[in-house]
Amino acid sequence: MADINLTIDGKQVQAKPGMTVLDAAKLAGVYVPTLCFHPDLAPYGACRLCIVEIEKMRGLPTACTTPVTEGMVVKTNTPQIQQFRRGVLELILTEHPHPCLTCWRRERCGPFDVCLRNVDVTHRCVLCPKNGICELQQVVDHIGIEQVEFPYVYREIAIDRENPFFERDYNLCIVCGRCVRVCQEIRGVGAIALTYRGSNALPGTAFGRALLDSDCQYCGACVDACPTGALIERNRKWEGAGERKVLTTCVYCGVGCQLNLTIKNGKIIESVPARENDVNRGQACVKGRFAIADVVHSPERLTKPLIKKNGKFEEASWDEALNLVASKLGSYKKEEVGIVASARCTNEENYVTQKFTRVVFGHNNVDHCARL
Amino acid sequence: MNFGDGETMNFEERRKQAIVEWDALQKSPKPRILVGAATCGLAAGTEQVITAIKNELARLNLDALVTRVGCIGLCYAEPIVDIIKPGRPRITYSKVTPEIAIQLIRDYLVNDNPHPDLAMGTQGEGGIEGIPKFWELPLLKAQIRVSLRNCGHIDPESINQYIANGGYKGLENALKMTQEQVIDFTKKSGLKGRGGAGFPTGQKWEFCYKATGKDKYLICNADEGDPGAFMDRSLLESDPHSVLEGMLIGAYAIGTQHGYVYCRAEYPLAIHRLQIALKQMKEYGLLGDNILGTNLCFDIKIKEGAGAFVCGEETALMQSIEGKRGMPRPRPPFPANSGLWGKPSNINNVETWANVSVIFDKGADWFASFGTQSSKGTKNFSMAGKVVRTGLIEVPMGISLGDIIYEIGGGIVGGKQFKAVLTGGPSGGCLPASLLDLPVDYESLNQAGTIMGSGGMVVADEDTCMVDMARFFLTFTQDESCGKCVPCRVGTKQMLEILERITQGEGVPDDIRRLEKLCNTIRSTALCGLGQTAPNPVLTTLRYFREEYEEHINKKYCRAGVCSKIVKSPCQNACPAGIDVPRYIRFTQQGKYGEAVAVIREKVPFPAVLGYVCVHFCEAKCRRGQLDEAIGIKELKRFAADHDTGIWKQNNKIAPPTGKKVAVIGSGPAGLTAGFYLAKKGHKVTVFEALPVSGGMMRVGIPRYRLPDEIIDREIKEIENVGVEIKLNSKVESVDDLFKQGFNAVFIGIGAHRGLNMGIDGENSLGVVDGAEFLRRVSLGEKMKVGEKVVVVGGGNVAIDASRTALRLGAKEVTIVYRRTRAEMPASAEEVEAALEENIKIEFLTNPTKAISEKGKLKVEFVRQALGKVDQSGRPRPVPIKGSEFTREYDMLIKAIGQESETPAGFGVKTARAGRIEANEDSMITSREGVYAGGDVVSGPASVIEAIADGRKAAVAIDKYLGGNGAIEEILASVEVPPKYVPPEIEGEQKRLSLKMVPVRERLSNFKLAELGWDDKQAGYDCSRCLRCDLEAH
Repeated sequence: MADINLTIDGKQVQAKPGMTVLDAAKLAGVYVPTLCFHPDLAPYGACRLCIVEIEKMRGLPTACTTPVTEGMVVKTNTPQIQQFRRGVLELILTEHPHPCLTCWRRERCGPFDVCLRNVDVTHRCVLCPKNGICELQQVVDHIGIEQVEFPYVYREIAIDRENPFFERDYNLCIVCGRCVRVCQEIRGVGAIALTYRGSNALPGTAFGRALLDSDCQYCGACVDACPTGALIERNRKWEGAGERKVLTTCVYCGVGCQLNLTIKNGKIIESVPARENDVNRGQACVKGRFAIADVVHSPERLTKPLIKKNGKFEEASWDEALNLVASKLGSYKKEEVGIVASARCTNEENYVTQKFTRVVFGHNNVDHCARL
Repeated sequence: MNFGDGETMNFEERRKQAIVEWDALQKSPKPRILVGAATCGLAAGTEQVITAIKNELARLNLDALVTRVGCIGLCYAEPIVDIIKPGRPRITYSKVTPEIAIQLIRDYLVNDNPHPDLAMGTQGEGGIEGIPKFWELPLLKAQIRVSLRNCGHIDPESINQYIANGGYKGLENALKMTQEQVIDFTKKSGLKGRGGAGFPTGQKWEFCYKATGKDKYLICNADEGDPGAFMDRSLLESDPHSVLEGMLIGAYAIGTQHGYVYCRAEYPLAIHRLQIALKQMKEYGLLGDNILGTNLCFDIKIKEGAGAFVCGEETALMQSIEGKRGMPRPRPPFPANSGLWGKPSNINNVETWANVSVIFDKGADWFASFGTQSSKGTKNFSMAGKVVRTGLIEVPMGISLGDIIYEIGGGIVGGKQFKAVLTGGPSGGCLPASLLDLPVDYESLNQAGTIMGSGGMVVADEDTCMVDMARFFLTFTQDESCGKCVPCRVGTKQMLEILERITQGEGVPDDIRRLEKLCNTIRSTALCGLGQTAPNPVLTTLRYFREEYEEHINKKYCRAGVCSKIVKSPCQNACPAGIDVPRYIRFTQQGKYGEAVAVIREKVPFPAVLGYVCVHFCEAKCRRGQLDEAIGIKELKRFAADHDTGIWKQNNKIAPPTGKKVAVIGSGPAGLTAGFYLAKKGHKVTVFEALPVSGGMMRVGIPRYRLPDEIIDREIKEIENVGVEIKLNSKVESVDDLFKQGFNAVFIGIGAHRGLNMGIDGENSLGVVDGAEFLRRVSLGEKMKVGEKVVVVGGGNVAIDASRTALRLGAKEVTIVYRRTRAEMPASAEEVEAALEENIKIEFLTNPTKAISEKGKLKVEFVRQALGKVDQSGRPRPVPIKGSEFTREYDMLIKAIGQESETPAGFGVKTARAGRIEANEDSMITSREGVYAGGDVVSGPASVIEAIADGRKAAVAIDKYLGGNGAIEEILASVEVPPKYVPPEIEGEQKRLSLKMVPVRERLSNFKLAELGWDDKQAGYDCSRCLRCDLEAH
């Protein structure tokens, strides 16, 4: 289908059919603040930050939900929009600790600094694991808010620490619904949903049961979708920012999920599924999401081949080990050999294994533990 | 299809049979009894009535047809029973109890006594003496039944009765047209969506018709959720087929195959009757494949909603049908293109569908002949709240709010003052009395800040606090918000928080600005209609009742006496001077009469005067009045004052002299009160009185038979005792002179003593007297000659006082003419009662037009008046009836239609109309520094207690002006042992004792006190009726 031409803040944009105004704004290099928007999820339109003015449309439509149409004229930053956006953001901040969000010193603040504004420890951005990568911080910085004139409501709900992988701190939740939607739309699980109505609405399980009693698979997709510090991986909570990132393939199975490992002090502190690939598109299972670092850094992990000598395993070099295997294999007739591959191997490794069997031994005596 | 009982009839045969059955029913030789059995009737006790009827019929061995019908709309009058005897018109009886039902069967069915005393009206041909025509009743005359055409007439569970009354004719007509023609026809009718938003129905159908896609859905929105709204429920319970037929027509026009009725599960009867109707439709070939032999294939399912308000929003409703959490989603895409299950969908409200079916039966032009240019047809409203006749009504668009509330609704319960009407439920707004002539159509309501809504209409009276009402609706929207979008979820909570603080007396001035900011943000940014309209109740109350917000915030005062945190008790709250009524009633009950007076004296220096003549705002608000009758607060005050021991003097303190001098002009209640408190603060107070007597209107306005001289003297003496000097015969013309004499501040309390002119010919003729002047001259001892026949013009207390005085001066015949009716009379009810007792005639709806003096006689021409539309004061405007003029002869005409003040120019203060001085309502300061004013000269003719309240306010301000702290509050009574609240035992009605009066014959020859006070037993009894609201609330 033909491109759709529209104007956003005076810039001509050619968008594809099916795109939203927000998509088109990105194409045009126009930043429109969002919180409930997530690129993997269906348009939702709940945080109301991406309101825009569109000629010939009533009211203030949300950029994230409005499909582009030919000849649309969009304004994303008029004084009216700024006023209402600030009004909405102010309301969001009444549900989230915000003294630091409106403090000009926030970026210079250290974890052990004396706070001149006497902000409660539990309310300080600097002590939040998401500090610096929090989407709410980014939005506040973009929109600019000096003070919140409505009383702040601290929900005073104890942090939910009942599962081993992540914690939920409702006091930081802005009810954007991203955790719920990723669980329902992407994972198809629906372990959590929005519970209750009105100002009591919060993501949670059916009948308030423990997550362990729900269908939760602990894939961590909700944690990755959370824009604030409301959902945090327990292991990495106090690790701070990493030093570098390494893109790797998950070692747990043959699917080949791409993972971004965050490294600090030579150790993996976090493994987050990578989005830009066609294999797992930002998703992983509980093992890939939460069990990489434990395995990699386990003292019991084999890092070198072992050869049994006199009934005891002894460390050996790869050459030694491979030579031993090759020599032993050579002592059999071709049809006496069968090969069983591991489910832990990558897809490519398994491919090589079957090729090896079929080309070198010339038969199909090859199998895989995951087939059973 | 063959079900074994022969070939199924085709629809035409079914129709013929239905008509035959219906005709037979109408001509039935048996009597028929129709009983209203919608939810309203069932709640009022219809089941018991039906049982009683059936038992009685069986007992008497009578054969009659008892039918349960739907709701005819008069919910206040349920249970309604209609009896049709062969050859007689149908008689409607209201509020029928099982006993009345039995009596009606015996008396009417057996003995042919139709009981006009119990009947409401007759329907059909012929009439019965003593019973009005049902549809001519004021509450029904203005109504037109379009969508409710069958309600209350047919058995809702009988498809044949529906068909016999034109049912499914509309469908047959529609099926003869093309789809485009059906849509055009709907457009031509001008029908707009009755769910609230008012989107043109035909246009909506067209969008869905043009949408691409094979599967399309059609939905009937029966998720009626507004508090106090029951239009859709009544309609579904009373005539489900009218809605379903409309859906079939819509389905044909749009080309849909699947239909849903989304009805809340709290409407079990509606659902039950819908299920019956759907079953009947299937049987009659009106559902399923090839309906009536055409290509139309359509099926309807009922989806029961769990009762979330937000599910009335179309996108949320569709989510709910899909089994998801009912949360709205942004549009576009609109449901016409992507609705239920992502397919093109069309949704209309119950009432819209019921209109569709009749439009295709009776024609688009017929429908468009009702209503206004832009809003066609009729609208259903469910009237609730403080209106006399609550119920379901159907009125043509464009009717005024006043007509709905007063003509149909019968006005406000208990004759109270109308305050506001809320349309559109929690999404609508509150409109004030000034908008009572607003036509009810989509545009006018929108302009006024509210919406048509689905038809909920809640009427509020003077006892409703508008801030509290806004708060109530916010609790509702806040609860019912789905929680999806930020402005609605968080914003309404913040608004509610502010409103709660205001109603608890903890508001701050900035709150109004913050509320407005929140309202604007929510209205402009919320996702769906629920959020966008949630601020409406607050916005409209801020627009029309802003002063109530300001009073709550700035004065911690709730004029309606509702907000319990700032209202100690309703009586004290209603008293302009804030007398602690429950406390003095408790002391009186304990026999501590001196303490009781001390409590009263904490706020006013005139306990006895008030006990005799106060207009008692307190009693109008007394909560006991809602049970049986208000406590006799005024009488108890008189009783206590008559038994005063003077104990208050023990705690009475006078501050050391300040050396400051204050001049008070006028020795009425305002001036003397200001002087009293200023003297107690140590200032030297001199009161200048123009007349030879002190007391102002207390002395020269109120006749002696109501307020004896010695009572006034006694209390003025106490005022002089604290150091106030009163100079009689000292008229002040210039404030400058007073300042020159060394006075540091001046209080003006000169009252309003000059009668207003009526503006008629011959007003100055001999024999025409000004009422206020008349009373003054009599009070000053002048022997007035009144002649034999006297007419008094006016409806206030002055008119009553003048007429009773004239009678005592020897008049043989005294008539009061008043242009409105008794209900609108501003005079105190007990005064009117006393006047009538004394044989004074009151001619209502009469106004003089001319007076001619001829040979010592006065010829007065009058014209009769009719009550017209309700004006902005909430009272019907009198309109002269042309040709009704008549002339009568009198000796004297006393005009008592109000007074003005004679403010000398030398005062140098800003005045408004009628010589009134402009003064700040809180400090009573005038436009001039150091000069204060209060009482009638500021407010116009009012009451003693209001003048006292002004005097107190002025004393505070003057004391502060003179360097004092302005503290005049004092504790005079002994400290009360904190009483424990014990809920009073209330057994049945305990009315208050009637007042003892001197016999009329003994009264009329003199000016002795006419009303005798209570004795201690009577007073004690009345005290025991007090509900002790002040203890309950805290």
